[in-house]
Amino acid sequence: MAQSSLDVLLKGSSGRNTRGLLRIIILLTIAAAAVASRLFSVIRFESIIHEFDPWFNFRATKYLVQNGFYSFWDWFDDRTWHPLGRVTGGTLYPGLMVTSGVIYHILSFLTIPVDIRNVCVLLAPGFSGLTALAMYLLTREMSHSPSAGLLAAAFMGITPGYISRSVAGSYDNEAIAIFLLVFTFFLWIKAVKNGSIMWGALTALFYGYMVSAWGGYVFITNLIPLHVFVLLCMGRYSSRLYISYTTWYALGTLGSMQIPFVGFLPIRNSDHMSALGVFGLIQLVAFAEFVRAYLPGKQFQKLLTSMVFLTFGLGLTGLILLSVTGVIAPWSGRFYSLWDTGYAKIHIPIIASVSEHQPTAWPAFFFDLNFLIWLFPAGVFMCFQNLKDEHVFVIIYAVLSSYFAGVMVRLMLTLTPIVCVAAALALSTILDSFLVMYKPTPESQAKANADKTAKSFSSTKNPVVGIYSYLSKGIVTGSLTIYLLMFVAHCTWVTSNAYSSPSVVLASRLPDGSQHIIDDYREAYYWLRQNTEDNAKIMSWWDYGYQIGGMADRPTLVDNNTWNNTHIATVGKAMSSREEVSYPILRQHDVDYVLVVFGGLLGYSGDDLNKFLWMVRIAEGIWPDEVKERDFFTARGEYRVDDEATPTMKNSLMYKMSYYNYNSLFPAGQAVDRVRGVRLPAESPKLDTLEEAFTSENWIIRIFKVKDLDNFGRDHSNAVAFDKGLKRKRATKKKGPRVLRTE
Amino acid sequence: MYNFPSPPPPPHLCHSFFASSYSIPEAQSARRNSFMMRWCLALLLCCFLAVVNALSSSGSRLLVVLDESAEKSAYSTLWSDLKERGYDISFETPKSNSLSLFQHGERAYDHLLILPPKSKGLGPNLTPKNVLDFMGQDGNIILALSGKSSTSSAISSLLLEFDIHLSNDRSAVVIDHFNYDTVSAAEKHDVLLLNRPEALRSDVKAFFDGEGVLALPRVAPQTLGNTSPLVSPVLQAPATAYAYNPKEEIPSAEDIEATGSQLNIVSALQSRNSARLTILGSVEALEDKWFSASVKAPNGKKISTANREFAKQLTAWTFKETGVLKVGKVEHHLATDGEVSADDLNPTIYRIKNETVFSIELSEYAYDKWVPYEVPAGDELQLEFTMLSPFHRLALQPTKKTETSTIYSVQFVTPDQHGIFSFRVNYKRPFLTNIEEKHEVTVRHFAHDEYPRSWAISGGWVWIAGLWSVIGGFLAFVIVWLYSAPAADKTKKMQ
Repeated sequence: MAQSSLDVLLKGSSGRNTRGLLRIIILLTIAAAAVASRLFSVIRFESIIHEFDPWFNFRATKYLVQNGFYSFWDWFDDRTWHPLGRVTGGTLYPGLMVTSGVIYHILSFLTIPVDIRNVCVLLAPGFSGLTALAMYLLTREMSHSPSAGLLAAAFMGITPGYISRSVAGSYDNEAIAIFLLVFTFFLWIKAVKNGSIMWGALTALFYGYMVSAWGGYVFITNLIPLHVFVLLCMGRYSSRLYISYTTWYALGTLGSMQIPFVGFLPIRNSDHMSALGVFGLIQLVAFAEFVRAYLPGKQFQKLLTSMVFLTFGLGLTGLILLSVTGVIAPWSGRFYSLWDTGYAKIHIPIIASVSEHQPTAWPAFFFDLNFLIWLFPAGVFMCFQNLKDEHVFVIIYAVLSSYFAGVMVRLMLTLTPIVCVAAALALSTILDSFLVMYKPTPESQAKANADKTAKSFSSTKNPVVGIYSYLSKGIVTGSLTIYLLMFVAHCTWVTSNAYSSPSVVLASRLPDGSQHIIDDYREAYYWLRQNTEDNAKIMSWWDYGYQIGGMADRPTLVDNNTWNNTHIATVGKAMSSREEVSYPILRQHDVDYVLVVFGGLLGYSGDDLNKFLWMVRIAEGIWPDEVKERDFFTARGEYRVDDEATPTMKNSLMYKMSYYNYNSLFPAGQAVDRVRGVRLPAESPKLDTLEEAFTSENWIIRIFKVKDLDNFGRDHSNAVAFDKGLKRKRATKKKGPRVLRTE
Repeated sequence: MYNFPSPPPPPHLCHSFFASSYSIPEAQSARRNSFMMRWCLALLLCCFLAVVNALSSSGSRLLVVLDESAEKSAYSTLWSDLKERGYDISFETPKSNSLSLFQHGERAYDHLLILPPKSKGLGPNLTPKNVLDFMGQDGNIILALSGKSSTSSAISSLLLEFDIHLSNDRSAVVIDHFNYDTVSAAEKHDVLLLNRPEALRSDVKAFFDGEGVLALPRVAPQTLGNTSPLVSPVLQAPATAYAYNPKEEIPSAEDIEATGSQLNIVSALQSRNSARLTILGSVEALEDKWFSASVKAPNGKKISTANREFAKQLTAWTFKETGVLKVGKVEHHLATDGEVSADDLNPTIYRIKNETVFSIELSEYAYDKWVPYEVPAGDELQLEFTMLSPFHRLALQPTKKTETSTIYSVQFVTPDQHGIFSFRVNYKRPFLTNIEEKHEVTVRHFAHDEYPRSWAISGGWVWIAGLWSVIGGFLAFVIVWLYSAPAADKTKKMQ
């Protein structure tokens, strides 16, 4: 009885329905798991925005929600990049903010009262659920096996490579961009398969959304043309390809040009030229196909050769001319650094200084992808086996993104989806072969082959394959299950330990194992918010610009939107010069407070002294005569902060601010810097032009107030000496004639 | 009458002046009348206060630090003159325990007059730090020196902080063999007879000029440092003068640090917060004796001195009865033809290339009232529109004059550069209080709908024509395609 009722459920059309239902339930479960595994940080800490960039996105979203779309679009932000300001509305990707704004408005329309902050915090987990669904759709296009899609969705849901950018609170562009990336690729595959204008237009639509959300859209802009180009080179031109590509390119480019930040880039920037080139090429190929239908072979051959040479020559000269005259913008620095990892360090230190722009260390691949990284090549190999148009796409994507992920840590994010696809393809093949109960019968295989033999060559015959032994089936499935379980365990562990820290709040363990929260950042930002004037200008290194803007609500000189290298270099110069040099810079920029991060007491290694060389380098890029990196190293080439530090180092504003009065915490002569592990000079550095305003509990953040000019026109050093009670010496007689006062 | 408890008057004064001049013309209805009555009362009260209080713009509490009360009587004319001008004078000796410049952290006096002490220093309550703090809280000081005895090193080192130098041994006296008083110093030539000083430069207002001759006995000379823009000479010694220590038998030529007009008899310092310090080289010049003395220059006529008028000018300037500038309303707005409504006044944000008007109201205090400030000929009041460096530096022109103030204004176009700019008026002149106005405004870029429309740009017509011709051509093509019957059918039929 039970047997038969199961049969009813599993066989025939109701069996299909059951499987469909199961699939939906599984997908929903996967989506739920994807969301749930990203909530560690909210549960452990609180519903808080993480890191740096998200703070700007959050602030921008609040502005959007408060002031409406049009004023967001025309937003001139006078609280960053003082005194230059930032045309924020025209220099950001609005997709993320608009998405949360829309969600917020829908929720309030449904009379669900929700804080915009919670919308922002939970946007990334929500979209990761959608990504898992999109992943299912994409992978299903690649394989007939229904399990491949589900596996890919599950992988995508919990793989740390993606979680790293999408935990709750990580309110960054990538939060929605990865979903858009995967979904756009799905639509593209669909368009290529069907040759349908509708799918092509949908691709363009989501491409437009993607452009509005993330600068990484250039990846799509180049990958789709490359796919088409490779297909053309393989001689796989078809009207499907023509229709889908031209539809996508025309509509997608128009759509992308609507984003103010992108503007005319799609027709002027070198990064976008491949799409335009392939668009031209496919027209030519289509024309050639058309002509071929009407011309005899020999004439066509001649025409084709001459046409190819002519177009190539014209195109090349045109490109060179336009590049030389500057109509087409040269390749951007970030692009160069993709090919030459040393390029950024020499030419654009500002890009090299960002840790996520560093080349990836090999353990990172395992850390972020676990066993998927082994299955990945197998999956790519399987794509070669039945090389359809969509498999070509997977291969190209795999090759390109593997390279990019090796060059820059943050591009691991673009690699992750294709790894999930490939690994799911490989794993589903294995499971489909090994996780079946019935043994293959040679007769039926032979019969099937015999049918084929009539029509095709013997080489295409399927050999008789199959697994007969239950033991091998058991071993393979068992070990795979273990791998899968370990994968889940690894993902959970990595997510919980590595990617769920808000980095605004530092968690540590006390000797008894209890958690201890180090909350210096918020303490300091809150101090600024409460104790300084509303438009007191805060100077800090650019890393903290967004946080100061978001949490302390005070204008900053530079922030994480590193659009003006000179301005950042100015801050670098002020930090790395003597007080006499820095003070006029601070005055000129109306700086009221200077904020430095100092980890010496706690052993917090991400402090400003460890980033200091980047400040020096960036400043040296603009003022090579005034700031020299060499001067910060000792004669033996060491970067030291103790007694043997160079005079330039000891006199630099950053050094002085970091160690000012630090020795007062220790017995005389015992001051130790726990980050750099050195004993410091017995005497505290002297600060004349700044005075200490605030130091946080663990000394991580130190805020200094810039003194006004002396009331009596003295030097600050003299004024400080006077305040200390030192008597001023009469100016020693100078040699030579006295200079007389003329009035 | 002078013991009337006097609250710090400036806020009240300012308030009443402004309130009265702006609210009265509005009064029309009965309700407003009663309102006006109240204002009149308030105004009366304030006027009363103004009369009772010092005429100085910054308070009337004057502390005189002098050694013995016996000395006090020598200056009785000065005291009575000051009292007449409304000062509430207290006397203390440097060593007195009750002498304190501050009470509960606030200034206890508004002004300080220090006569040269006989003892070595100024005592424990007048340390250089206290004096600087006093000035830091807007207190004004006259420091009198005397060539009779050597100046204490405490004063010397205090003055060094201001970049004002005394002679090396601190006991030099200015001698002039051409401009001395033949009556009292026929032998020693140490009583100088000088005309009252002219304006420092042609573009600077004169506060110490006038008719008459000053008699300055036994002047302790000061020299001014070369770098400080805050110090300025009030009265310089004539070119023929030199400094000489009478106790030394032979003046050594190497020791001479300054001669002639490099020696200052009276010099002044105005700190950045406009607190004033005047160094008077000859305290004796303030004595009753010299107020009414008659003097005779070599080959001149016998005349009486103008010391008393000069003392008035000097104390009036130091105690902020003259040379005090006040900024009234600072307004900026977009240039419009009509009246500017209150909402449009002082906006925080402008756009690039906006026509903008800036105006600033300036008053000057003249002994007992605010009068319109006139910029001296040859000088200019300038407005800077600054971001990092000035984008505009414009001369402000007087456009309107009220009873108590002049309104200077200028109209200009904001630069084609967005950013956080500031309107700055930085007007610092010798003997006038500093004006440093800074008003931050944001200059934004064009909003998306503020650009001219495409059809308004003649250069864009080509492209618009191209656009519409493509659309038209496409439509025409479609129509032709749809409604041209294929010819092939006919031929087929024919066959």
